[in-house]
Amino acid sequence: MYWLASGFIFRRTDSPFHRLDPRVRLLVSVELFAVSLMSRTIPELAGVIAFMLAVSAVARVLKRVTRTMLLTATFAAFIFAVNIVFTRQVSTSALYAARFVAIVVSTSIFFITTSPDELEQVMKYFHLPRDIVFAFVTAVRFIPVLMLDAMSIMDAQKSRGLELEKGGIVSRVRKMIPVLIPLVVNSVVRSGELAEAMESRAYGAVPRPTSLYEYRTSARDRAVALASVVLFAAAAYSFYFVIPA
Amino acid sequence: MKALDGVTLTIGDSETVAIVGENGAGKTTLVRHMTGLLKPTEGRVLVDGEDVREKSTAELSRKIGVAFQNPDHQLFSESVEEEIAFGLRNFGFEDGVVRQRIGWALNFFGLEEYRRSSPLTLSGGEKKRLTLACILSWDPSVVVLDEPTVGQDAIQKEKLAEIIRMLRSTGKTIVLVSHDIEFLWPIQPRVVVMSSGRVIDDGPAARVMLSEERLASARVSQPQLVSFYSALKERPGSPFADVHEARRWLSGRLR
Repeated sequence: MYWLASGFIFRRTDSPFHRLDPRVRLLVSVELFAVSLMSRTIPELAGVIAFMLAVSAVARVLKRVTRTMLLTATFAAFIFAVNIVFTRQVSTSALYAARFVAIVVSTSIFFITTSPDELEQVMKYFHLPRDIVFAFVTAVRFIPVLMLDAMSIMDAQKSRGLELEKGGIVSRVRKMIPVLIPLVVNSVVRSGELAEAMESRAYGAVPRPTSLYEYRTSARDRAVALASVVLFAAAAYSFYFVIPA
Repeated sequence: MKALDGVTLTIGDSETVAIVGENGAGKTTLVRHMTGLLKPTEGRVLVDGEDVREKSTAELSRKIGVAFQNPDHQLFSESVEEEIAFGLRNFGFEDGVVRQRIGWALNFFGLEEYRRSSPLTLSGGEKKRLTLACILSWDPSVVVLDEPTVGQDAIQKEKLAEIIRMLRSTGKTIVLVSHDIEFLWPIQPRVVVMSSGRVIDDGPAARVMLSEERLASARVSQPQLVSFYSALKERPGSPFADVHEARRWLSGRLR
């Protein structure tokens, strides 16, 4: 479970992609997201996914992105099955399923290469309300903690004879109750404690607190941003005007 | 990175074993292998002669009951009695037996007055006792206590030590994973010292706790009484033949 989830969790890595300004990484991710939506055929999507994997390789997160793809493939298979039932067209169903994988991978690339601190800076750059930024970033920061909690709880319940891996779907869902209740209770308790700890450290004392980091774009950041915009425009142009649908 | 490396350990029936070592030494990883929560990538872990790789954790738990460090990671039922019944039902005990075992566990752990209370409203010590009650309710032959004294005050620790002594008298095999050397010392278990995934010492507490250097290499401090005895032993004409004699002398003085 943690193996799969780690496909979405940030881990500090030194790569050319990680060294980019987080806003540039966001731009690349948004462009990849957009071309995933714009592509209208399986070969176009395959090209987009291949490009994403190339970006992942540069960012040295290819293995983890592959895990993300593995996890989303399960949902993609479901999307494919539902579309087959309703549209009865294999190519359209495959396109929707592949598009789902591409969309998830495009966002995953941003999240696994961007630390919660960088995410906070990016959100502040867009002038989002501080409380919302803080709540969102804290939630992201706590994902690995919750994952570890969930695993500890599952271990504890398995050690009390709970067979989580056996039985039908309904039975398995029901067996998750002893895992979910402690997880939710612990999370609520932890959030209360965190709120008190933040208040005791003067959270909200001034309307515009100063920041430890300030990001400045370098010439390399600007070059990558420009190149990505050019590539994005070229892809969009070719999808709509060069390659027949 | 190897979490456990070249560990060979045999724990016999009715033995009380304490696994000590610094954080990250591999203590919890070792215990997780005993219960099948982790499967060894090399070597074998046998429980009652059966390879843990061939059994699910739920199956192994019938023989090995584990009380995890954080009770909040397992309590979820609406009442204390239902919390105890959870494991018993998972193992397929009949209703009459479930009721009887609940009664025994509540009585043994002094939780009778909380029978219908929510487990979430109990104090830290009571929660800890409840997790032990849950495990002992199905009478496993091996009881593993992972960091049992974390978050416990002195009185709760004393109660816990008393419970361990009672379990010992009933012939249970007890495995204690703990940093709390002062808690372990009066129990006088067999002590297994771990460091960097390896067992660096294994023997009776009275011998292992005396090897200060080896304990220090595992970042484990000696119990105060052993330090006291070691300091006196260095002086000429030390009045004590061994650490037990020092303990008896000190107990007499304190009385």
